[in-house]
Amino acid sequence: MTSQQPSTMSDQSANTSPEAVIVAKDVHKWYASNKFHVLRGVSLTVNKGEVVVVMGPSGSGKSTFIRTFNALEDYQKGTITIDGIELSHDLKNIDAIRREVGMVFQQFNLFPHLSVLQNVTLAPIWVRRKKKAEAEAIAMQLLEKVGILEQAKKFPGQLSGGQQQRVAIARALAMQPKIMLFDEPTSALDPEMVREVLDTMRSLAKEGMTMVCVTHEVGFAREVADRVVLMADGLLVEEATPKEFFNNPQHERSKQFLSQIL
Amino acid sequence: MTSLSSPPGDLAPPPEMRDTPLNWIKNNLFTPWYNGLITVVIALILGYFFYTFLTWSFTEAKWDVIPRNIQLFNVGRYPRSQYWRLWVLLGLICTLSGLSWGAIARNVAKLYSRNILIGIGCAVVVCLLFPVPLPNRLLLVGMTGLVVGFSWVGQQAGRKNPKFGIWVSSTWLLLFFIALWLIGGGLFLRPVSSNEWQGLMLTVLTAVVSIVICFPLGVLLALGRRSPLPIFKGLSIAYIELVRGVPLITLLFMGQVMIPLFLPDGMRPDRVIRAIVGLTLFSAAYLAENVRGGLQAVPRGQAEAASALGLSTPLVVILIVLPQALKAVIPAIVGQFISLFQDTTLLAIVGLVELLGISNSVLANPQFLGRFSEVYLYNGLLFWVFCYAMSASSRWVEKKVNTEH
Ligand SMILES: Nc1ncnc2c1ncn2[C@@H]1O[C@H](COP(=O)(O)OP(=O)(O)OP(=O)(O)O)[C@@H](O)[C@H]1O
Ligand SMILES: [Mg+2]
Repeated sequence: MTSQQPSTMSDQSANTSPEAVIVAKDVHKWYASNKFHVLRGVSLTVNKGEVVVVMGPSGSGKSTFIRTFNALEDYQKGTITIDGIELSHDLKNIDAIRREVGMVFQQFNLFPHLSVLQNVTLAPIWVRRKKKAEAEAIAMQLLEKVGILEQAKKFPGQLSGGQQQRVAIARALAMQPKIMLFDEPTSALDPEMVREVLDTMRSLAKEGMTMVCVTHEVGFAREVADRVVLMADGLLVEEATPKEFFNNPQHERSKQFLSQIL
Repeated sequence: MTSLSSPPGDLAPPPEMRDTPLNWIKNNLFTPWYNGLITVVIALILGYFFYTFLTWSFTEAKWDVIPRNIQLFNVGRYPRSQYWRLWVLLGLICTLSGLSWGAIARNVAKLYSRNILIGIGCAVVVCLLFPVPLPNRLLLVGMTGLVVGFSWVGQQAGRKNPKFGIWVSSTWLLLFFIALWLIGGGLFLRPVSSNEWQGLMLTVLTAVVSIVICFPLGVLLALGRRSPLPIFKGLSIAYIELVRGVPLITLLFMGQVMIPLFLPDGMRPDRVIRAIVGLTLFSAAYLAENVRGGLQAVPRGQAEAASALGLSTPLVVILIVLPQALKAVIPAIVGQFISLFQDTTLLAIVGLVELLGISNSVLANPQFLGRFSEVYLYNGLLFWVFCYAMSASSRWVEKKVNTEH
């Protein structure tokens, strides 16, 4: 498995089209604390405007993998190029890349001591050096877009989980990123709030945002994803269109995984 | 949403929860019977102490030792001709306090609520009863007036100009240097040697200066202790653990005796400065541990989310991690400030004449021999007032920064 799968993957990523905004080649990572080989040669190319859904069993390394895209995790072997900038192992171009990549977390991670509006304007003001009024105008537009304009003056602790996650999306969008990463954005939500967040992500995808989503929402993947990849034991074992992936999975691991979640 | 799940409309209102005072006493103090017994025993003991204290303070105690030495208690042997400088300083502090209060409460509709008015009334009464000459009492009332008047000004200014808060905070910093100038002189003012800075004034001065310096120092040490750079980490740990292993009084003696050893000949920093250095270095180590606790309480996801937005590490710490960390440990930090304030009494042992020092020299006066109880009670009362004010404001700040609900 180790020898076969990555090679087919890297074949795809080798023909780097000019549109490719994420190119990961043969990425290896070991966790320093326990020498755990968590990524074992992962390759993936994401083109501009594409929506890629990453699925896989718990502990397979999905979070670790997408967190390498904005250097929240380092890696030891391979290359990752984001929008033409190589993310070197020593994390030199970190700032340039983080400005282009937005991230939404499972636990929202809103800043509880700042109001919703301050959460959204913080990075534009401090990183993009925007004027406060300008940043607020943009923030209000984004909050309207995700449907929580009325809550702008509230604090995160006063919002429901679904509202918080939508604020988190607005916060990431405020930096006008080229790529959005979602790490199980709906896993911490009550079922009735999942939809409002997925709707927001869906409309984002329609606008042409490049997105990499770790999620187990099959409906979302079927409808929105251009490609679904399955990760298991630190490897991408299958990469296919949602239709093929859900109706006719090729690999044993995929079948096994789908039988568990479907 | 559906009518099925909605509660029936004729739900009874909750039963009357209010108690009459008598009922409350009965329910809380006398049920069951052994609680009643405990209540009675404790009430008797308290009553006995209270009665003894009252009889003592009205029959035996000779309180005149306080008013007759009030200047000494307040400012010690600070030259009388220069008292006006201290009044000016007090006036500035009151003005700025008023402005700050107003600026903080700029969104409060009614600045002078009933409770606040009662508080102002109490302050005026205390000023009028304070055992100093009548003109000084009136001056004190005037100081209260300054606070109240300028709080209104501050509120108006705060509403008009959003930058007003920053302006006020930087003025506090400026006032710090003005205060040192007013007290110590130099630059057009007659110099007053620090040997003549005494009494309550010295207590408050050393405490405030130490608090102001030890806070940033403690925060830096806490951050250093969590730094990924081994050199910062090692130095911070070494410092914190060394200082926490030594009693304050040892540090104070070392400050008085040893600091001059390390400095070039002839350079002998002022005694007050040496004392402040000792207090500051000591408190910073404890403060660092408190702050570290707060840092640990901030989830890792906070820093990750901030870095993912592109904020640089210093900005992540200053804008995201520290505010949350400090907020979580306000009570511990203020507790540290309170004990620092009380620790200033140790300065009496190394020969500084702060409140306790001046009290001892009052007691050494043959005229007032043996008035220990009166003098120490007065000391205790003053300390209690200051410390209670600190812990009350800490609770207020805590409520103010609570954004959970
Ligand atoms: N900081 C760390 N140090 C050591 N091992 C880690 C660390 N973080 C994660 N791991 C291990 O790496 C593996 C992959 O973790 P990761 O969080 O990427 O999985 P995941 O696919 O996102 O799983 P889940 O669906 O549960 O989120 C797990 O086995 C985990 O125990
Ligand atoms: Mg995960």
